[in-house]
Amino acid sequence: MRAIGIIKHRLKGWSLSRHLQLVALVSLLLMDAVTSWAADKINKIEVFPSTPYDGYIIYESLAVFWLFIIGLIVIIRMKLREIQRTQELGIEEQDPDAPLLR
Amino acid sequence: MNCPRLKDWLDERYDLEAIKRLAKSKLIPEHRYDLWYYTGGITLFLFIIQFVSGMLMALYYVPHIDFAHKSIIEIVTKLNMGWFFRSFHHWGAQLAIAFLFIHLFGTLLLKSYRKPREFIWVTGFVLLGISIFFGLSGYLLLWDERSFAGTRVATGGAGALPFIGWFIKAFLRGSIDVTGDTLLRFYAFHVAILPIITLSLIGLHLILVMYHGSSVPLSLEKEQLRAAPFFPNVFYKDLMIWLVVLGVLVTLTVLMPPEIGVKADPLAPQSENIKPEWYFLFLLQTLKLFPGEIMGLNGETIAILLVTCAILFFFLIPFFDRRSSRGEASPLFTWIGVIYLLYFLTMTVVGFLS
Repeated sequence: MRAIGIIKHRLKGWSLSRHLQLVALVSLLLMDAVTSWAADKINKIEVFPSTPYDGYIIYESLAVFWLFIIGLIVIIRMKLREIQRTQELGIEEQDPDAPLLR
Repeated sequence: MNCPRLKDWLDERYDLEAIKRLAKSKLIPEHRYDLWYYTGGITLFLFIIQFVSGMLMALYYVPHIDFAHKSIIEIVTKLNMGWFFRSFHHWGAQLAIAFLFIHLFGTLLLKSYRKPREFIWVTGFVLLGISIFFGLSGYLLLWDERSFAGTRVATGGAGALPFIGWFIKAFLRGSIDVTGDTLLRFYAFHVAILPIITLSLIGLHLILVMYHGSSVPLSLEKEQLRAAPFFPNVFYKDLMIWLVVLGVLVTLTVLMPPEIGVKADPLAPQSENIKPEWYFLFLLQTLKLFPGEIMGLNGETIAILLVTCAILFFFLIPFFDRRSSRGEASPLFTWIGVIYLLYFLTMTVVGFLS
């Protein structure tokens, strides 16, 4: 806190142009840091479609895919229960003479 | 789907009813540990996925030192859905090896390897070894810094084995160091040699499982257990589990596509803190436990030798565990299994975090 107080006291006597110079210097330093980080990013190879639209379509497809999987599991589960029920009743084979709905 | 003409056509040529009867006659015991039976099926499903996605990748991959890395980048960035299939193949491999380990430790702790099923264990264990080699050979095909360093360490480690180490190292590398020859060699292993061996072993493993039937844990052997026919009951349950695994695999594929590093440069100094794939971490951590020299002998050689002995003992457990073969409880081998499992998990986690 004391250090901040000293800096404040020193800056009081500065003109507007000196203030602007300081801001520009700090901005340049920060810009350099930002661009160097971006340079690292540029070297990275995109392993996933980069446009937000593509990303949205892919995530949406993933959600639909899960719905499809859950639906299939429900159908298989129902079928399995039906099979188990007929097995418990001891009538595993279908009656060949049963009328068919066509 | 009901195609009476096709059914009749097949019936005239093949005895389909006999196949159906056989599938229905195969019974799977139902008990509180029966979930472990499904781990084998999941692994088989993941292997099928790996074969299919691998075939798709092989259509575009170029196994040459100058083009390998570039061809992977092109698969990921230029081909329609290329990024998806590459990520799918990567995560499929991770899950396949994870389920192989789960299946292996499940078999070990439930003593399913006991007489007369020793050869099922042997074929399964060899399949695990081959799958790890599948992982290693596929890893180098990326030809980036990380895969290059990983292969150098792995093949160098094999070279530390006394007497035959130099031969294994030279055979794997095809040269003094990891070079274009190694890449071509690993490609041949990955797409031709290993798949043929794997298919044969899977076939043998399944035939042996069919022949011996499903094993029942020792503690439940004297109980009267219910059994369900493999087809359709267990097969439908298998299908449901496969669908969940497929969902998890696709989710991982989309949410965590694997990175591609900088192209490998054999002349560049090796980058520090490069980690191998997760299933090699326990080996790496074990090597780190040993000092460079023990009583004037090379520490790495001793470490590799001890690890080899430990793996060999693990492989031969069905032949050492006489009590289980006689149908008696063998807590010693249960503890050995638990120690192996805990060591593997601890070292993998430590290797991952360090």
